[in-house]
Amino acid sequence: MPKGSYQGPLEQIAPCQWRIPKNYKQGMRVDGLIFASSDMIGQIAADQAPEQVANVAFLPGIQAASIAMPDIHWGYGFSIGGVCATDPQQGGVISPGGVGYDINCGVRLLRSNLTKAEIQPQIEPIVEQLFRQVPAGVGKGGKYRYNRKELRKLTAEGCNYLKRQGLATDADIEHTEAQGCLAGAEPDHVSDRALERGKDQCGTLGSGNHFLEVQVVEEVCDEEAARAMQLEKNMICVMIHSGSRGLGYQVCDDALKQLRKAPAKYGITLPDRQLACAPVESPEGRHYLGAMAAAANYAWCNRQLLMWQTREAFEQALGKSWEKLGMHLVYDVAHNIAKFEHHAVDGQRRRVLVHRKGATRAFPPGHPETPDAYKQIGQPVLIPGDMGRASWVLVGQPSAMDLSFGSCCHGAGRRLSRTAAVKASKGRRIDRELADVGVIAKARSWKGLAEEQPEAYKDVNDVVDVVHRAGLAKKVARLRPIGVVKG
Amino acid sequence: MYETFSHTADLGLRIRAEGFPSLLEQAGRALFATLVANLDEVRPVEQRELRIEGDDPEYLFFDWLNELLYTYQKDRLVLVEFDLHVDSAGLRAACRGESLDLARHRPDHDVKAITYHDLTVVETDGRWLAEVIVDI
Repeated sequence: MPKGSYQGPLEQIAPCQWRIPKNYKQGMRVDGLIFASSDMIGQIAADQAPEQVANVAFLPGIQAASIAMPDIHWGYGFSIGGVCATDPQQGGVISPGGVGYDINCGVRLLRSNLTKAEIQPQIEPIVEQLFRQVPAGVGKGGKYRYNRKELRKLTAEGCNYLKRQGLATDADIEHTEAQGCLAGAEPDHVSDRALERGKDQCGTLGSGNHFLEVQVVEEVCDEEAARAMQLEKNMICVMIHSGSRGLGYQVCDDALKQLRKAPAKYGITLPDRQLACAPVESPEGRHYLGAMAAAANYAWCNRQLLMWQTREAFEQALGKSWEKLGMHLVYDVAHNIAKFEHHAVDGQRRRVLVHRKGATRAFPPGHPETPDAYKQIGQPVLIPGDMGRASWVLVGQPSAMDLSFGSCCHGAGRRLSRTAAVKASKGRRIDRELADVGVIAKARSWKGLAEEQPEAYKDVNDVVDVVHRAGLAKKVARLRPIGVVKG
Repeated sequence: MYETFSHTADLGLRIRAEGFPSLLEQAGRALFATLVANLDEVRPVEQRELRIEGDDPEYLFFDWLNELLYTYQKDRLVLVEFDLHVDSAGLRAACRGESLDLARHRPDHDVKAITYHDLTVVETDGRWLAEVIVDI
């Protein structure tokens, strides 16, 4: 039930940082820290999202602060836009709610050697081709089908499995976070139900806020970084947003059920059952981590196959090979995941488990986990906006390591609930409104389009401004959608 | 009786009923009404038996919706009629509906999961109220 606005403390400690002191609620182990501008904070406190930031601070072993990004909005358990690092050596926990149902939901961007001028006259047939060729929509299955044995391999090996089938290149893998394969995957921890749901959904977009967009680089803010990513003004790019589909949701669901009794067993007091967790070093914790990594690998394969079908659609629409069209992967980032990383905490280098629930990794220049091509500029951070305005490419900055465990925002963040958005679209044709601003949108459901209309989201430019000003990530390029495919 | 309520990124279902079995029945209807826009067009021609163990009303409620959702996700079975029997061991249900037919049925929201967040199942003088947020 809507519970009204957040009534607790929010202390401004820097131009874009707000603190919820740990004495706000008994049981908080660390402060809450929200990155936001003064203009945004009112909207953020309009619902219970800050309360959720405070609740996450209850998790055993949490380090530094329960952190939230400027695209924060009310989620379940964790807020969307949350970052939480726990230290296994200090009884740190893993919480499936801190990863989310859509494990390794994420974004990838591919560039091309096409320009806006070349594509604009053909944008409608291209979007039609993408809409026909890329499976999207409620529970939609695709052309790639994997039996249980194959799924076990796919979830263990990630994109390397697809490479052997000729569906991924070395360059694709090199430009994917974790090279498209998270270590520690345990396919045997993935239930039969999850495998059943995943058998025909790899390479499908899904519904909700997932999308495939043809975009134009509208503004380059950092020439050096754009050059390293081979992005230029007026270049056509494609952005893909999807996750682990039914397989991932089922893994999360299974874990939450298995963890029902874990808080009592391990003496953990939680203010919300959706925060259910277990120590990283416990049978329950290890079980989930193995299953989560398998689901994450499935998600990387999903986005890889979505990209592969995008390349095929462009080949058919334009009569040239994707290599000739220069359709190379710029980068792929996860924004719903938990990963073991090394960070400095209290002046000591520690191995912590970083939960990012609607937050993107943003490693700085020189970080060993950044691909060689981007070592000098920092890890690319891809921030999808709404389908009418803009999306952004940024690069991680050194202060992200000090302030947010190398993390940054993941999108615009919702402003209106789905029901409010549908209500606001009564009597309107969102597709026509988008066409009026130069965006060709194809969706399987008008309601889906209404729920995802630009007004339903905060302005991504404001969100990106905050992470840029706070020093978490630096603006590189702004992209504008011209073609949208939705489920 | 059921209604929906707003939750920023997702959707809430609020169900009221006389008696726990009726609550579960209404909750089943509410879930499928979220999944399929024109539920009245769904004919009760296929039957599915479901059985869920447990005695905690909240978990039973949750597991029931979860099982219905899985049935839809796996077999595309849209269920509209429910005969429920609840005892101390859990629940048994005979559910009727039909497979999703895109020529006649209009899929609506893609419910990814039932969540525990703010899950409420309470009884006051025989009247039951449940609230659940589903992930979309």
